[in-house]
Amino acid sequence: MSPQFRLGAPRWSLLGAIVLALTLGGVARGNTAGMTFVSAGVYAPLFTGPEDPDEIPVPSFFIDTQPVTNGDYLTFVQANPQWRRSQVSPIFADESYLKHWAGDLELGRLAPADSPIVHVSWFTARAYARWLGKRLPTTAEWERTAAVGYDGPDGKNDVELSGDIYRWFASPTLAVIPTANNARPNYLGVKGLFGYIWEWVADFSTSMVTGESRGDSGLDRDLFCSAGSVGAKETNDYAAFMRMALRSSLKANNNTSSLGFRCARDAD
Amino acid sequence: MKSIRFLSLTASLLAASIAWAEPAKEELDACCQAEVDSAPFTQLSLYQLDATYTSDSGQTVSLGDFRGRPVVVTMFFASCGYACPLLVSDMTKIKEFLPAEIRDDVALVLVSFDVERDTPEALHQYKSDRMLDDQWILLHGNDDAVSELAALLGVKYKLENNGMYSHSNLITVLNSEGEIVHQRGGLKGGLEETARAIVGVVNQE
Repeated sequence: MSPQFRLGAPRWSLLGAIVLALTLGGVARGNTAGMTFVSAGVYAPLFTGPEDPDEIPVPSFFIDTQPVTNGDYLTFVQANPQWRRSQVSPIFADESYLKHWAGDLELGRLAPADSPIVHVSWFTARAYARWLGKRLPTTAEWERTAAVGYDGPDGKNDVELSGDIYRWFASPTLAVIPTANNARPNYLGVKGLFGYIWEWVADFSTSMVTGESRGDSGLDRDLFCSAGSVGAKETNDYAAFMRMALRSSLKANNNTSSLGFRCARDAD
Repeated sequence: MKSIRFLSLTASLLAASIAWAEPAKEELDACCQAEVDSAPFTQLSLYQLDATYTSDSGQTVSLGDFRGRPVVVTMFFASCGYACPLLVSDMTKIKEFLPAEIRDDVALVLVSFDVERDTPEALHQYKSDRMLDDQWILLHGNDDAVSELAALLGVKYKLENNGMYSHSNLITVLNSEGEIVHQRGGLKGGLEETARAIVGVVNQE
């Protein structure tokens, strides 16, 4: 028997096994449909201590192209009864959880299936993401995604973009949040990062802001404040301040009328 | 023959190491676990969290394992030079404030948010360095488990560039069902009140 012959057959099956493993691996790693790839980059934190670097590296990742919708979330609670409004534990979601829905498994007129989900807590958002094998984006990932403009990789000097953001800040929260399907995508193709809802991030509890607070009109007054800007560098990035202030004032079981989420996953 | 002897030696070593690792677990079992194990956790119980941790003695622990006894839990990190040693000595003082008959029933739990450095081995070292007895259980968890617990306890923490953590100083008392009954924030005073909360928990049962 020649060695070549003996090796021949196993070699093919080995190749088959590799192909199979790659395919299965791809499936196991999960579906990135509806997600946008964001390449590795940097994030400049708003508040830094004297020894902190100005920028921190962010490895590449996938992020949902649009916020999670009422329809998406309904599928989740249908499959996971413990996260339904009537059954959720109060330590994971306070009494306003999904309060805009008509019922446990009924969306109703205040919650169109295509519109971003709101009235969800950090725990419930996280449970949703896990159910899909995803996770919540980190602050660095979220801010990196939101730092691009409409037409270029740097949104800082994008006048149209900042105009749209401030217009949104100035307008009151709508009783029925419209769908983000028609939102203008940013340079990465990601939609609805502003103009519709605020979003949970995985590490919201590391936003420790101290300083004076000022009242503001567009947000749920009990939970949000716009904090003083001591120690910050990008003092003109008002939008990022607002997000920072929001994160630092939330508790993980809070649910508000303008706070939703989108998911992320590692790129490798 | 030689290999058989070697095998039996390995087996007895293995048995010995298992026996060595067992006591803490038995202690938990000996308390009231068997009778309450079957009942679902209450709506406000932190024990609903399904994450698992590794203890300083290398065991896999879920928070629900503490069911049936009062728990004093604090989040910390071992290389902390300022607040964490104070928190640990405060927990010791809380124990001393307890009436003698319940002093040994309380579980004193430290959960590290330094998931990188505070391995079970590092926690084991910390425990012996600080001469903490077996009433203390130090837990190592992954990022997910730690951030989830921190969120429920209301502990905020952040890794700074110098490798240290900024964090809330919070000592929490859980009743036998894992519900938060008392929290002591800051680093000054309030320890007798915390001890009274534990007495309250024991009296209720």
